[in-house]
Amino acid sequence: MLFNTVQFFLFLAAVLVLFYASPRGFRKYILLVASYVFYGTWNWHFIPLLLTLTVVDYTAGRLIEKSDPRRRKLFLILSLGVNLGFLGFFKYYNFLASNVSLLAGKPSTWLALNVILPLGISFHTFQSMSYIVDVYRGEQEAILDPVDYALFICFFPQLVAGPIVRAREFFKDLLHWQPPTADDISRGIFQMTIGLAKKMAFADQFAKIANLYFGNVAAHPGGAAAWSGVFSFGMQIYFDFAGYTDMAIGMAKLLGFHFPENFRRPYLACSITDFWHRWHMSLSRWLRDYLYIPLGGNRHGRVSTYRNLMLTMLLGGLWHGASWNFVIWGGYHGALLAIERLIGRFRRQPVRWTVASWLFTFALALVGWVFFRAEDLHQSRQVLSQMFGNWHGHTLLTRWHTGLALLALAVAAIEEKFDWFEHLMTWPLAVRAVTLALIFFVIEVFGVTDVAIPFVYFQF
Amino acid sequence: MQPDSSSAFDSPAAPTGSGLRAFREAALLLILALAALLVLDGLVFRIGPYKKLLEPDSTAGQFELVLRREQEAQREYGDNLVATFGDSRMSYYPREAAKVEPQTGYYLRQAGLAGTNARVWYYMLRDLDPTASRYRAIVLAVNDFDDEDQAYQDADDLRVVHYAAAHLRLSDIPELVLSFPSWTSRWEALRSALLKGYAYQADIQEFLDNPPKRRAYVQLANGGYPHWTWDFVDSTKTLEGLAIDWSTFKVTFPPNATPDQIDTITNFLARRPAPQTGAMAAFRRHWMGKIIDRYRNSRTKVIFIRLPRGAVVRPDNLVKKQSATIRDFARLPNVLLANEHAFEELEHPELFKDGLHMNDKGNTRFSVLLSQEVARLLGPPAPNWQALPDHPRDK
Repeated sequence: MLFNTVQFFLFLAAVLVLFYASPRGFRKYILLVASYVFYGTWNWHFIPLLLTLTVVDYTAGRLIEKSDPRRRKLFLILSLGVNLGFLGFFKYYNFLASNVSLLAGKPSTWLALNVILPLGISFHTFQSMSYIVDVYRGEQEAILDPVDYALFICFFPQLVAGPIVRAREFFKDLLHWQPPTADDISRGIFQMTIGLAKKMAFADQFAKIANLYFGNVAAHPGGAAAWSGVFSFGMQIYFDFAGYTDMAIGMAKLLGFHFPENFRRPYLACSITDFWHRWHMSLSRWLRDYLYIPLGGNRHGRVSTYRNLMLTMLLGGLWHGASWNFVIWGGYHGALLAIERLIGRFRRQPVRWTVASWLFTFALALVGWVFFRAEDLHQSRQVLSQMFGNWHGHTLLTRWHTGLALLALAVAAIEEKFDWFEHLMTWPLAVRAVTLALIFFVIEVFGVTDVAIPFVYFQF
Repeated sequence: MQPDSSSAFDSPAAPTGSGLRAFREAALLLILALAALLVLDGLVFRIGPYKKLLEPDSTAGQFELVLRREQEAQREYGDNLVATFGDSRMSYYPREAAKVEPQTGYYLRQAGLAGTNARVWYYMLRDLDPTASRYRAIVLAVNDFDDEDQAYQDADDLRVVHYAAAHLRLSDIPELVLSFPSWTSRWEALRSALLKGYAYQADIQEFLDNPPKRRAYVQLANGGYPHWTWDFVDSTKTLEGLAIDWSTFKVTFPPNATPDQIDTITNFLARRPAPQTGAMAAFRRHWMGKIIDRYRNSRTKVIFIRLPRGAVVRPDNLVKKQSATIRDFARLPNVLLANEHAFEELEHPELFKDGLHMNDKGNTRFSVLLSQEVARLLGPPAPNWQALPDHPRDK
């Protein structure tokens, strides 16, 4: 059940009606059942896996809190082992197997298994692990009610593609639940609509060009075609993921939950460091708190800092998918972060926002997307050689695609400068209604409706 | 201390009044936004400028061009006009039909469009003839007076929302939507009928790609369409050599048959019979019935003609047809049925360009026969009739 389908909106409407029409004591059960139903519509065979991880981590949390330090560590390792074991098996087994096979001089399918990746496993295992580590560190009390914990893991607005919510953020809302205010509801409706517009009118339109290009790179020779194809993918992945996140945050607000921001106009960044403060912020935060800092962060000298940055980004890249392309994408960003840090040592002031720094950062991000989107390393090389070695060819962007991108840039720039969304929320109801109608109109005219294109991050 | 999780949802809610107010405000926001969307959509696509910018070759653009051309023709042609409707097989030449006007007294004007059916004709007629009195007759061309269901159902043809998007009223929506058999089609129809931007999506995107080019083409089409259609000359290809063994459905294609000819012969002419479900009869009763109802108390007659059925005629015994809606209509006071055999002389391979359509020679002969048959059914023209000395389009 994709967020951009009629079925999902009917499902959401039913959940909202049941939720608010029920006595308060029943509401979390309604959310829990709804979340399992939502997950089950994808593939109900994986519900036992979700339940297993829930039981393991719930029990581990309770045991860690009650046990002595030695046993606490044991339970932590066991819990992390189970989470990483499941994630490793489902997500990375075939990747490892194919590499081992190639090293052994065998066909890449020699050790391969027919493994289906359970939807959202990368997100919910990271969420579980953050909970267990927080309990171990004493930053989070173990949850007593298994229903509460199960809901934390499978809450349907963010189950399949985040944002990765910290336990204390979620339980603050769950355990001290308050009905949403008028402002919450208004924001929720707007965020859902904006998210839908990002997905259907922007991401899916740019997806057509990106798919056309990456579907057959050889058929579109030349730098102009390559840059336009990669640009389109850059647009697609941002609007797709940010759109999903906006919808998740919006629908959570309608249910009285508050999720953290996940994107803050990343393509307006003036450096790669700035980019990562704006892109997939919940993952960046997770990687910082549970990987970069435990590795030593920047506390043990320059070389160690660069190494930690590199390792964090390499693993961050691998988190996205089991292929060398994602590893290279992570490594590329790790290297850029390290280089920026190195250059930063010789600068007196932080990087200022200029058109040149913005364009340069955007171009660097686009180059990174080549590895993210390409089928394999061969195709990555093929695209890069066109981008940098062939200045001929024709752009694949139509004029109105360019217009869409400029429209998005204008809206983002106005938001960055004037915070229009916050102002909008204080405007009279009639003005908000007209603004909402304009967003609906954009979906009506530009939204791809003939097929519901799945969200890119669902594959992770 | 561990908060008691159950107490959160069990604790007293925020004041009920404020919660209700929040939801009331949200509902109002949504209702106002949807109303504003409908207004905006209507302003841009229904009464606004966009209708005049539609791609002339698109379904919606063709509908607008035909509608405009025929509205103008009503002013030019006087009182003895006959409007004809049909799909691409109703391919007579109005200029050839006009040549016999001095003898018949009636002008035939083509208001049909390729790919349309009675549902589209109804919406076209409603705007073309709002008072249901401007024509002496409305001719509806069908393949068969009996109802034969085919694999593809007219009722499920969503093109109506593209053809007639700008002309659908809010009050049309329930009937139009429910006239589609499947829920998927109903949803599509509802969405496009309610919000015309959906129906025009591809057109708008193409327009935005090069607005000056579109404007120039629209201008060209607006000026030239009546002449292009009047002067149109169809293909001279034939199907000579075509034979079909109906016991085995084995087709002997004409020598040098084109892929298009093979496709239309295989999929339309030599198609296997489909199960007879009654869907065609229901569709005809509904939409042709609505057209007949519009002209119930009018001077305008509704005439049904059976088109030349094909280069080779499908035997009657292939299907046991269960009903004949059009023959039933003939009992109604204002409805006339053309002689079923009036065009049988055209059912020859040398008069067809493919499995469905007549060629230039076929169309030319059909034009004259059609005019004569309509005149025979209508009788002498109005007493004040005078032949137009020079046909407006011949100038």
